[in-house]
Amino acid sequence: MSDPRNTPTEEPVTHFGYKSVPESQKAEKVAEVFHSVAAKYDLMNDLMSGGIHRLWKRFTIELSGARPGNRILDIAGGTGDLTRQFSRLVGPTGEVVLADINASMLKVGRDRLLDNGAAGNIRFVQADAEKLPFPDNHFNVVTIAFGLRNVTHKEDAIASMLRVLKPGGRLLVLEFSKPTNPLFAKAYDAYSFSLLPLMGKLITNDSESYRYLAESIRMHPDQDTLKAMMVTAGFDRVTYHNMTGGVVALHRGIKP
Amino acid sequence: MLRTALLAGSEQGINRLLRLDPTALSRLARLSGTLIEVRCTQPDLTLFVMADDQGLRLAAQWDGTPDCTLHAPASSLARLAVSPHKTAILHEPHVRLEGDSAALMSLAEVLQSLELDWEHELSRWLGPVGTQLLGDAVRKQGRWLRQSGHSLQQNLAEYLAEEARALVGTQEAEARFSELDELKLRLDRLDARIARLTPVSEPHDPA
Repeated sequence: MSDPRNTPTEEPVTHFGYKSVPESQKAEKVAEVFHSVAAKYDLMNDLMSGGIHRLWKRFTIELSGARPGNRILDIAGGTGDLTRQFSRLVGPTGEVVLADINASMLKVGRDRLLDNGAAGNIRFVQADAEKLPFPDNHFNVVTIAFGLRNVTHKEDAIASMLRVLKPGGRLLVLEFSKPTNPLFAKAYDAYSFSLLPLMGKLITNDSESYRYLAESIRMHPDQDTLKAMMVTAGFDRVTYHNMTGGVVALHRGIKP
Repeated sequence: MLRTALLAGSEQGINRLLRLDPTALSRLARLSGTLIEVRCTQPDLTLFVMADDQGLRLAAQWDGTPDCTLHAPASSLARLAVSPHKTAILHEPHVRLEGDSAALMSLAEVLQSLELDWEHELSRWLGPVGTQLLGDAVRKQGRWLRQSGHSLQQNLAEYLAEEARALVGTQEAEARFSELDELKLRLDRLDARIARLTPVSEPHDPA
């Protein structure tokens, strides 16, 4: 699994990109990355993906089945792309909670949503995905887009998401994954390890954060492993959809 | 993904157009929460449409039960989009409607009755004076085009009917039609007269 827990005598270690770090330090190191990139997060997303991240998110919305009056939790909601769409879908009778562990990202997301007139049915909560501060059986839909790979204990986070979902509610995990075509995978590797850090250096003056991005994607469980993790956590009817040749996968599971 | 991209582009374009009509979005807001599924049978395509106070949302798939599903070939869908007689099209044999038809009709009505204030949008780029000048020029040009078109149509019809004798003129055709009507009436009268003069032969009952 991605989060090896070592013997009780020494502090367990986990991966931070390709490095191994004590578990207690991972959240802090991830936070540093996002504090550093928060201001230009959207610009970088557009540049790195050529704008395709908007289509991945759009597909996530389509599979969410969100309806007016629904209660939706957008974990690691960052700059609020999904929250804004969900806010429109659930209407004034529904509620969307934008949760992020990182205060800088939450602030950027909140400002951006308010500037775009998205307000009234949105709440902002700084929360850890592993210990969600919400009651059991509370949300109709829970989404986590490009956030799960940064979580230290992914199993705990998935279990926490299952807990806060209502029976019949759905979890959508949008995350980088493993390209299905080996040739394409090689080109993608070349892009990730040479161009991404360069773009990071030029735009945010921080190549290390984007090197971490590329490394953390490689360390993240592949499509079938993540599916198995969701099934083990207790999700029913778990399926995944590969997008852009498997660069990104959308996993969906229903709470029984 | 390509379909998603195309729909995203179309949605953006449509919503830009909708914002040019000051009343369209408030009328669409009444359809908030309504999910309309359009199933094109030829070619085989499915489109989900939702409306709210920010415009339309188009999706290739939607995980939810639609309030209204329209099954129709592309030709009928195109006619449905532009024709003022929508009910007649909806009753065609290859068109099938399930669920709440009012939602679909309301959406079609909003889209068809758009009054786009394109000058307002243009004034954001050109300023009020530039827009006024351009607007006047376009309106003048439009009037000239309409008049020229009408004149061309009249001249062509007159040439074909009166000079080239390739077509029958309207007045001439109407005269022939009245003659035919009169002939039909006279035939009907003759039929009635013959029927009256013919002796009624009752079948004899041998008993």
